[in-house]
Amino acid sequence: MLSVQVWRSTSSEMIGFEKKVLENGLKVIVHEDRQTPLVAMNVVYNAGSKYENEGLTGIAHLMEHLMFAGSMNIPDYDTPLQMAGGDNNAYTNNDVADFYLTIPAENIETALWLESDRMIKPKVTRRSLEIQKKVVSEEFSQRYLNQPYGDAMHLLRKEAYIVHPYRWPAIGMELSHIDRIELNDISDFIRRHYTPSNAILTLAGNIETPMAFDLVDKWFGDINGLPGNKNPVMPEPVQQKARRISVERDVPSCMIYKAWHACARNEDDFRVLDLMTDILSGGESGRLYEILVREKKIFSEINAYLTGDLEPGLIVCYGKVMDGIVLEKAEEELQAVIRRLTVNEPRENEMEKVKNRFESTTRMSNISVLSKVLNLSGYELAGDANLINRETERYFEITSGQVLKTAREYLMDENCTTLLYRSANR
Amino acid sequence: MKPSERKIQPPAMIARMPELAGPDITFLPNGVPVCKIASGKEDIIRADFIFRAGQVFEKNHLTSSCVNMMLNEGSEDMTAEEVNRRLDFFGAVPNFFTEKDVAGLSIAFLSKHSRKIFGLCHDMLFKPVFPDEELRSLLKKRLQWHDVRQERVQSVANDLYFESVFGSSHPYGRVTHREDFSLLRRENLVEFHKRHYSPANLSIVIAGNITREAEECLASVFGTLKAGRISPAQEFSLPAYSSLPRIEKHKEGALQSAIRIGSATINKRNSDYPGLKVVDTLLGGYFGSRLMKNIREDKGYTYGIHSSVSSYDQSGYMLISTEVGSGYTEKAVSEIHHEINRLATEPVGIKELDIVRNFMMGELVRMFDGPFATAESFRSAWEFGLGYDYFKKLAARIVSITPDEIMHLAKTYYKQEYFVEVVVGP
Repeated sequence: MLSVQVWRSTSSEMIGFEKKVLENGLKVIVHEDRQTPLVAMNVVYNAGSKYENEGLTGIAHLMEHLMFAGSMNIPDYDTPLQMAGGDNNAYTNNDVADFYLTIPAENIETALWLESDRMIKPKVTRRSLEIQKKVVSEEFSQRYLNQPYGDAMHLLRKEAYIVHPYRWPAIGMELSHIDRIELNDISDFIRRHYTPSNAILTLAGNIETPMAFDLVDKWFGDINGLPGNKNPVMPEPVQQKARRISVERDVPSCMIYKAWHACARNEDDFRVLDLMTDILSGGESGRLYEILVREKKIFSEINAYLTGDLEPGLIVCYGKVMDGIVLEKAEEELQAVIRRLTVNEPRENEMEKVKNRFESTTRMSNISVLSKVLNLSGYELAGDANLINRETERYFEITSGQVLKTAREYLMDENCTTLLYRSANR
Repeated sequence: MKPSERKIQPPAMIARMPELAGPDITFLPNGVPVCKIASGKEDIIRADFIFRAGQVFEKNHLTSSCVNMMLNEGSEDMTAEEVNRRLDFFGAVPNFFTEKDVAGLSIAFLSKHSRKIFGLCHDMLFKPVFPDEELRSLLKKRLQWHDVRQERVQSVANDLYFESVFGSSHPYGRVTHREDFSLLRRENLVEFHKRHYSPANLSIVIAGNITREAEECLASVFGTLKAGRISPAQEFSLPAYSSLPRIEKHKEGALQSAIRIGSATINKRNSDYPGLKVVDTLLGGYFGSRLMKNIREDKGYTYGIHSSVSSYDQSGYMLISTEVGSGYTEKAVSEIHHEINRLATEPVGIKELDIVRNFMMGELVRMFDGPFATAESFRSAWEFGLGYDYFKKLAARIVSITPDEIMHLAKTYYKQEYFVEVVVGP
């Protein structure tokens, strides 16, 4: 086992950890926290929906469900974990599939036993596939089709991206795709992506570091480390012209969605864009809320965020138009707030505010062992787990001039896709 | 590792109940009780200001929630912009809440900002001005949210469930209608605030790294206010149990049906409640529950199905809820009834009961992991006049309950003739 990084905690604000790489390529991060009776564990696979083909989407997320349907030596994942007092969950996004759990520290070996067995080989049967296809189809209906505005991100992504697989959300492009997924699509996906060299394992909590590494080595060390053969991901060409789409649906009010192409998670501009979206919509003093909701009463709710993907993602802004306001007028007012960012530098106290907010939300998220484990592996995915300790400082270095420059670079009309979601009743 | 070793779960033991010392309850000079939960390494504080100011106290529907939502819309000394800019500048994360019985503010912030934050809390909680224009705008926004809610089968089904369980004139069952939004006046808010947001109706829970400064500041800001009068609780009677016919509501074009089944029941103060929690967990309270196993994992009718037993001050309720593909509605309803019946007629197997015991003990450990989780858990008991004893009793019940006792509780509390059944779908 190779030790690649040791970060000792030198003050109460630092998160100390140690990182090693097993011979089979599995990256392992351990953070000790003796104050909790729990250990949290996270296994993230570089196995998101961006590795699917446009003709058959939803495989990555369906695979996440199938990871609970039994593995090589264990018929069912959940029962033994519950028997050991553990609780778990998982999510899939465009980049990764992430599996996390918390368990009383004395029972950590059950978690390692379970996770290592499904890393060796998840056991997918015709029956478990059929059942989970039904479950996922219901999830698709419940969250995206049977909800007002539920298909908005489907529509927006499909227009904002031409070739890059961020064109579809992780649930899949269409419901009909789920039904067409077959056993060999799944085994192929497992072979390509569910390998140790394609995963990061993070442990945090009441466990001594050397013991944690010994146990990880015991359970994961002998897993075959054949490199996966990932599908290539097509880069998105630079958008040259503003794109607009409009739909009419049976919803109570109109909404406006806008998306600008952003940079990748690990680029320097990402932090600047993050502060910029917080200037727009962080808290009730964000510009969008203050001007368009509280002062002018043009929107009833409005928000902006970064999708935060590993590859170039989107800056998304969406708002629900107040009844009685013409949609075109609302869009104009929204544009005016956005445009101001490209004309003037943000005020100094605004800069200080968004930096303070970043610092305090970061500190608050380090209060639970589960969010620490998720943060550590999230930062490792973005390039370096130690960003958990350095990120705040780097945010504080950003100047108002940089925000103006970056806003000018990204918030151009020709980089923007607009979706007008019209209400058929208005 | 030998392949045979991978077949057997490593030894795991049942989690121990965390040691709960204290909590430290003191009274400010004006009688306001303060519960202190001091722990945690991060310099963060969470303060909960809990008033007897929930929906049970309102004469006009929507009053208590509008009062709560407008606490940050300007005070005697500050405009809404100033209040929110300051909150955001100090990186505070406020959560204004209105429940059936209580309402208030839960706020997290860095310890070093205690003085500023408590000052702001004081202004928001005790000196709000409720500008008329802002109230009209809020009502307009809320009407829009209401209309969107009516499009969701989940929300419509929830409303019908509570209305039929508690009755439409009971504050726990009262449903919001479009007319309600035009009836509310500023005077209603001012009057409600004056009466219920008084120190006499306030309890404070403070958790985290409580500095000396924070403690002194809390006392000087909130301990010197005139106590005022305690709001007497009005007793409401529940509607007589009658075997209600099934309630169905048609929702054009819905892909899924929302199903809600349940009844009013005992609350936390009843000595049977901890046992009932175990029965509920077995039925539908965790991922491995009977409802999840049967209706999701075996049949694939739904993305999720859950049961819960919850407490209000004057009653409790049990609720089974799911959204299923519309073609499976009747099959799902009949399986739910089958699982309810099984609780009372078949003794639970020892293995299954052990899983429930171990899972629930793990949950108890999670509920007290860190100062914020501990504050949340303690508050959920304190509001009922209970303390850590409640959790100790729950732990004792989890470990000792027998299959016969489970059947007995099921027979007593899961009576089909009490149950309301709601289906909202196409």
